[in-house]
Amino acid sequence: MFRTVFLKSLYDARRGLIGWSIAIGVLVLLESALWPSVRDMPNLTELYQSFPEELRKFFDLEAMTTGAGFLNAELFTLMLPGLFLVYAVGHGARALAGEEERGTLELLLVTPVSGARIVVDKALALTLSIAVLGATLFAATTIGSLLFGLGISVSAAASGALAMTLLGTEYGVLALAAGALTGRRATAIGIASAAATAAYAVYAVGLILPRFESWQPYSPIYQAFNGGPLGAGLPIGYLWLLAGAALLVAVALPSLDGRDISTAHGG
Amino acid sequence: MNAVIRTRRLTKRFGHRTALDGLDLDVAAGTILGYLGPNGAGKTTTIRLLAGLIRPSDGSAMVFGFDASDQYDTIQRRIGYLPGEFVAYPDLTGHQYLSYFAHLYGGVDRSRIDLLAKRFDLDLDLRIGTLSRGNRQKVGIIQAFMHEPDLLILDEPTSGLDPIMQREFRTLLHETKDLGRTVFLSSHVLSEVEAVADTVAILRSGRLVTTQSVQDLKDRARRRLDLTFAATPPLDRLHGVPGVQELTVDGRIVHVVVTGSTAELLKAAAPYDVINVVSHEADLEAAFLDYYSGQE
Repeated sequence: MFRTVFLKSLYDARRGLIGWSIAIGVLVLLESALWPSVRDMPNLTELYQSFPEELRKFFDLEAMTTGAGFLNAELFTLMLPGLFLVYAVGHGARALAGEEERGTLELLLVTPVSGARIVVDKALALTLSIAVLGATLFAATTIGSLLFGLGISVSAAASGALAMTLLGTEYGVLALAAGALTGRRATAIGIASAAATAAYAVYAVGLILPRFESWQPYSPIYQAFNGGPLGAGLPIGYLWLLAGAALLVAVALPSLDGRDISTAHGG
Repeated sequence: MNAVIRTRRLTKRFGHRTALDGLDLDVAAGTILGYLGPNGAGKTTTIRLLAGLIRPSDGSAMVFGFDASDQYDTIQRRIGYLPGEFVAYPDLTGHQYLSYFAHLYGGVDRSRIDLLAKRFDLDLDLRIGTLSRGNRQKVGIIQAFMHEPDLLILDEPTSGLDPIMQREFRTLLHETKDLGRTVFLSSHVLSEVEAVADTVAILRSGRLVTTQSVQDLKDRARRRLDLTFAATPPLDRLHGVPGVQELTVDGRIVHVVVTGSTAELLKAAAPYDVINVVSHEADLEAAFLDYYSGQE
């Protein structure tokens, strides 16, 4: 279990992952359980029509007449990306900046393991942890759909889970890279949260103001949400999310070299 | 001289504060250097420069012939390092922690870890978070020694250890030296290194004050002598002897403090019917404190 930095990091993640997986599974199943009563509401379409246009656009309310649309509006474009981001950014910031603040990073460095290797191992452990959450989400969505008749196909559920995983990975790796460069966990969380908020703003403004619609594709939030996330298939946006995460890892690779590593007291 | 560590004008500034100022230091292979200085003198800064964890502002540090400022990966795979504030993962047991580092080092015999733990009377099945400070320090010591590195860089290694464990640690250092390995050992108390070190380097406010063999330090140290005379002591004669620092009279007994050799003093006293001479152990601590406070 303690053969590499990667395996040790997974070991560290185990408890958190169990808790987060249960929370996400329960959330998705509870929301799915609501679907039959929403579907059976009379005049659902008229109800949605009565909402202001911006709100309808924002939550894609017209699509809420299907199970996939319902979950997209209720969970996959609000609650779930939020949860994935919080988990990923927290984990990413702890990965290197957390070890440095605690004073354990210097001991890892004074071994045959190079700084770049530590970054790669930490990034892989982060990605795999988020993927475990993604797999849980996929399982919960599929099971919920079967139990409560949401009619979400396996591939639609997979694209939704993949979108959340990739979105989380990109910002998790951003927090990891910022932590590797600055050595400070709070700074890493701040940078990643600010970046995610900005991406959400670009996405949201583009929805409401047509003038800014052309900016949307640059937003990782849009890349993850567009056409789904449930049922989006495999849009090109996912590739951008992956490329963004890979680029950030590349930026982080040399970050432990060439700078002063802090000791336990930060001095 | 085959120097394992060689620094030239090694300087480290943190902002406006100069933590280490132009250090020139050589440590020969197979020797133990005691690196002494008060808290904040720059000992930890030097150690972290040598371990390749921070980069010099000026000058150079060569370890095994590799530049610590850019070839630190090569250096880091060959040293054992114990930081001044050793922190491990509190949720791991001693075994889990040491097994992790054994793998990172590229494999260490389990029996060697167990042997070291036994020597230091450490229970490896306990979580590190539950250990006392001294026992946690033992985990750090084992972590630094277990892969038998060519060079050990240890920052105040005995802090928190009880006297018996300190003695065990000194034995370990002697064995390490006998195997031809080199040790760079920092401390703020001389007595801790005097028994093991070949050479001491004394640092004050970021500057190297002196480097000398422990023997030289002892030779130059202040020594207390009590001379008992048969008649009235020849005070004027004794005052004139080179090296005499203090002189107090107690009847026919004269207490003298001398630096360096006592030969001149004894020669001067001999003609005056000395009936007893009591020589006290050289006061290394005092010599050392002189360096500390800048009186030398």
